[in-house]
Amino acid sequence: MDINWAQILLNSVITGSIYLIGAIGLSVTYRLSNFSNFAHAEFITLGAFIGYWVSSQLGWGLLPAFIIAFLLTGTVSLLCYRGIFQPLAKRGASTIHLMIASIAVGFIIRYSIGAGWGWTPQYFLNTWTTYEVGAIRITGLWLLLILVTLTSALTMHFALMRTKLGKAIRASSSNPELAAASGINVNRVILITWFIGAGLAAIAGIFRGASTQVWPMTGWDIILPIFAVVVLGGIGNYHGAIVAAFIIGLTENIGVVALTNLGLATEYRMALAFLIIIITLIVKPQGLAMFFRRA
Amino acid sequence: MSIIPYLLDFVVFVGIFGIMALSLNLEYGFTGLANFGKVAFFLIGAYTYAILSQTGAPFYLCLIASALTSAIGGLLISLPALRLREDYLAIVTLTTGEILRLIVKSEDWIGGGIWGITVSPAIKMTGASPTSKILVNIGLVFICMAICFIIIQLLTHSPYGRVIRAIREDEVAAEALGKNRSKYKAQIFMLGSAMAGIAGGLFAQYLRFIDPYMFLPIVTFTVWIMVLLGGPANNWGALLGAALVQLFDRGTNLIKDYFTLPIDPTNLQYILFGVLIILVLLYRPQGLLKESEIKTEALRSARARGSTAKNREG
Repeated sequence: MDINWAQILLNSVITGSIYLIGAIGLSVTYRLSNFSNFAHAEFITLGAFIGYWVSSQLGWGLLPAFIIAFLLTGTVSLLCYRGIFQPLAKRGASTIHLMIASIAVGFIIRYSIGAGWGWTPQYFLNTWTTYEVGAIRITGLWLLLILVTLTSALTMHFALMRTKLGKAIRASSSNPELAAASGINVNRVILITWFIGAGLAAIAGIFRGASTQVWPMTGWDIILPIFAVVVLGGIGNYHGAIVAAFIIGLTENIGVVALTNLGLATEYRMALAFLIIIITLIVKPQGLAMFFRRA
Repeated sequence: MSIIPYLLDFVVFVGIFGIMALSLNLEYGFTGLANFGKVAFFLIGAYTYAILSQTGAPFYLCLIASALTSAIGGLLISLPALRLREDYLAIVTLTTGEILRLIVKSEDWIGGGIWGITVSPAIKMTGASPTSKILVNIGLVFICMAICFIIIQLLTHSPYGRVIRAIREDEVAAEALGKNRSKYKAQIFMLGSAMAGIAGGLFAQYLRFIDPYMFLPIVTFTVWIMVLLGGPANNWGALLGAALVQLFDRGTNLIKDYFTLPIDPTNLQYILFGVLIILVLLYRPQGLLKESEIKTEALRSARARGSTAKNREG
């Protein structure tokens, strides 16, 4: 069988890009708030639905869809944190209780979406031209995704490294007490990361929804690979997450080829990401963070 | 549909999920192990029962096999995973459950893949009415539940039970007192998984058909709600939680049949589920029933001495 390696590499970048944008918020909030927020899956779904609503149902186009989805989902996330997770943490809830609460919040959002838009899969109305460069086929949507990922990855990098807010985020995630003692308003930092993280998740949701389908499980379908990115990259580590996203993307896409050649079901490509989670947590819980300075 | 079979069906499910809640209570309530993959062991038990029952093996052998395979599964996962931090353990067990579901979904030779597998009932009664069939099931399920309840109750009120509670409170301190925490955790994980396996076997033979879509992560979450609502580390609480959550489930299903609402009841049911669990965590984190107190000879004599000392002062 002739394998188009260039195409596989490109597909890996595409898959990895969606996972990366989806994972950043989860990774940073996991580190700062000390629990993994399963409702992050529903932030992705919510973003996909708001994007679908603005661009395809209202017909306002894609750019407003991105902006409105980012802002609305960010606000929902802020409300969840202020209204539920923060009060719970203040009452001394354990990590496990917070995780269960986040699953419950996820239920409320997911089934509210189900009540509002229904459970039949919806599709974005946009049509995308397909470009052929040599052996590679790439759609306009994918070009846009790569552009958005590069821009946001670079912006995040410089924001984290150079700006005051970025330094405050890094300081709070590596040592909250010390950060608070040096005059950083840790609470405000946490709120900002919940807002931006969920906003980015919404963008990932729009891309995922536009390339597959939009339904209440859009986010849950990809939350475990996103967990794989968070865990493999090292919880709270931004640069680790970039590398991890690409690795998970490659594993999935090479996995499909390998599984087909081995005569196994391609459904197992998800299992590969799951195995990466399990092996990382058992062997090296800090993940790729060991190669990077804490960021 | 007449009301009697519906009520009896409810009782069967309370029994099956009661066993699940009891086993999670043993793992989380008493030992502090956050098992987010309960459904994995439920699945192992159900598929073991289904496959074995097709060879014509008697039901008690099938149930014992379900318990054994689940226990082995629990041991295999616990060996590497139990040293992990509690949130890592939760993520690892959750993903294990999803991997197992992917396997039974993709491998047609195990249990028919997505088309599922039919299961013969535990006790065959040709020509009996549906009601009496359910009654027999109630008997079977509740005998199993009683056995699990008694085992856990005896275990948690023994010196062994005090060790696992100590591990839950402070595992380093327990280790410092010479208790091998990994050994205790692995034993509890195996026992809890075995009980979940029995519940899975009972579930399979009662429904007489299983497919991979019955083993979504939501099953795990439902069992967690039961334990958190009823009261962790209280076995009566686990059973109460199982009954209440099933009642809630059935209640919202009944609403679907008798009322027309502006919102689809299935969606409403899960939204209310979410709200319920957040309210419990916010306002009653210890659950409805408090942790059952340990009864020991030493405690009793200490109490008696305390009261006589008070009398002397007075």
